[in-house]
Amino acid sequence: MKTLKMMLALGLLSLSITSAQAVQIRDFHKDVIGRDCKACHDHGIKQFPSDEACLKCHNIDDLVKASKRPEEDKWQNPHNNLHYGKDLPCQECHAEHKTKKPLCSNCHTFKFDKHID
Amino acid sequence: MSNIDLLGRRKFIAGLGAAAGAAMVSPAMAVSEKADGVKWDKELEVVIIGSGFAGLAASIEAIKLGAKDVHIFEKMAYFGGNSAINGGLFAVPGSPKQAEKGIKDSVERMVADQLASGRGIADEGLLRHVASHANEALQMTLEAGAEFHPYLQQLGGHSVARTYQTTVSCGAGITQPLLKMSRKMGVHTHNRSKFEGFLIGKNNEVVGVKMRENYHFGENQPGKVLNIRAKRGVIVATGGFAQNINLRMAQDPTLTAEVGCTNAPGATGEGMFEMFRLGAVPVHLAHIQSGPWASPDEGGFGYVSNYSIFNFPHSIAINRLTGKRFMNEIADRKTRADAELSCRDEKGNALPPILITSFKDSKKHPNTAKVIKYNVGWKFDSVEELASHFKVPLKELKAQIKEYNEYVKTGKDTQFGKNMTKAKDKYIQAPFTVVRLWPKVHYCQGGVQVTKKAEVKDSFTGKPIQGLYAAGEVCGGIHGVSRLGSCSIPECMVMGMTAVRSMMKA
Repeated sequence: MKTLKMMLALGLLSLSITSAQAVQIRDFHKDVIGRDCKACHDHGIKQFPSDEACLKCHNIDDLVKASKRPEEDKWQNPHNNLHYGKDLPCQECHAEHKTKKPLCSNCHTFKFDKHID
Repeated sequence: MSNIDLLGRRKFIAGLGAAAGAAMVSPAMAVSEKADGVKWDKELEVVIIGSGFAGLAASIEAIKLGAKDVHIFEKMAYFGGNSAINGGLFAVPGSPKQAEKGIKDSVERMVADQLASGRGIADEGLLRHVASHANEALQMTLEAGAEFHPYLQQLGGHSVARTYQTTVSCGAGITQPLLKMSRKMGVHTHNRSKFEGFLIGKNNEVVGVKMRENYHFGENQPGKVLNIRAKRGVIVATGGFAQNINLRMAQDPTLTAEVGCTNAPGATGEGMFEMFRLGAVPVHLAHIQSGPWASPDEGGFGYVSNYSIFNFPHSIAINRLTGKRFMNEIADRKTRADAELSCRDEKGNALPPILITSFKDSKKHPNTAKVIKYNVGWKFDSVEELASHFKVPLKELKAQIKEYNEYVKTGKDTQFGKNMTKAKDKYIQAPFTVVRLWPKVHYCQGGVQVTKKAEVKDSFTGKPIQGLYAAGEVCGGIHGVSRLGSCSIPECMVMGMTAVRSMMKA
């Protein structure tokens, strides 16, 4: 029985290591979250997280201040923009496991220097 | 009441080009079903699919008329659809600002302009209905807090200035206030909710919808599908299909993926397809409009579109091969788009024409600074500099500018018959601002046939499908061959309001 439990434990450990290694994770999230998939995946691993997941740790008003633009371009603020205000879900421009461009770039040539693809 | 089994006509519908195109849209096609024995996950009073002008106006009107439980479902992550990214141009005949400016206009005059553009196949009854209620729609936007420029614009094909524009020169100047007002009034808004089909009652009426949760556009989706009963009815306000490459190519093979499109990515037409499955009548699907104000130098609608729309009345469009004008700059969209597409170099390759404006006139619009800043527009201090930059024959261009300025002076364009009212005293002179023009797929005149009560007609019986209403660009036939600019906002909003009035028998 002890041997069986040990084998199962080793198997699970291998499985989790393999899973974590197979999925690209942002460096900044790796540092803070580590391998805790549930930190974001509130709908389970097989679905995208809810739009509220990011906002558990990131405050939208702080982000609006951080990405503020000069007055004549104020509505180009990606976190408080002309078309959708503060309503645009984070996942529309930010992805964890693949690269993603800002939604604005479908139509505009704005520069978002801090955006990580 | 129809005795014909609506779902049994799938094979009939499949024989039409639209459905054939539909078959290629996505691997997970929506399917409408009989509601017999269905376990309802939710029972809601009013179900609105789509969150653009039509859906938002419908939701507000529903609450005003006494509905207590109103829901908007939007498949995208964000609300507003194409309405949130359009030019915010709103035509209203007999408006308060026309009265203020002493501009004479009428429902009849606006409808006449639209019929001319529709080339004989527009729906006069629907156009008159929309024009007659446009002021009510405008009032709703003002009530919500929308703000408009202090001037009216005269867009291509219109015989008089009747077009409001939001101060942010964008439809979001209307969608954002409407969305906020809608929510404040108690409307429930649901994003990432994908309409997966209708649920049909015993008498072939629409009794509900299937809606997938946690939908991410363009991704494979395991989200749960809910059966939602709609106690009063369903309003489909899902917009057009300009982003559906297969369907637009089925109508016009030249509209390949390489042709630019101004639309939001979600404008793919599934709501329309699902109504066709039920038996809705397809109307004018082949009339797909391109925007003649668009730029090859930026994506989608960008900044140039609104810049051009504002400046066309007092500008000249020049073929770069000849140095000459080639069109009436304020003709309707199809006339101008076709004329632009004919601008070619010696080898027949596309040669986007340029729009030349005096800076003293263009600088009045906020987009002028933006087009220059983002390198999608240019400013020149001399005609020589301009001609050199765009490789336009200088002598011919100078002669054309001189000739056109005579038309400005006399008020009569003998070259292309342009209405020079808005160009009065606006001579083409340095410094100039210039943009390149190239049409982009913009608006689908086609869609499902509706009555003046926003009811969806059944193709076999000619009668409305009970429990089902449609409003906005998802409807077809209203505009005929070519929609006039700024006539979509009044249509979307008025028909959204109309759908609710019909549903609630107001």
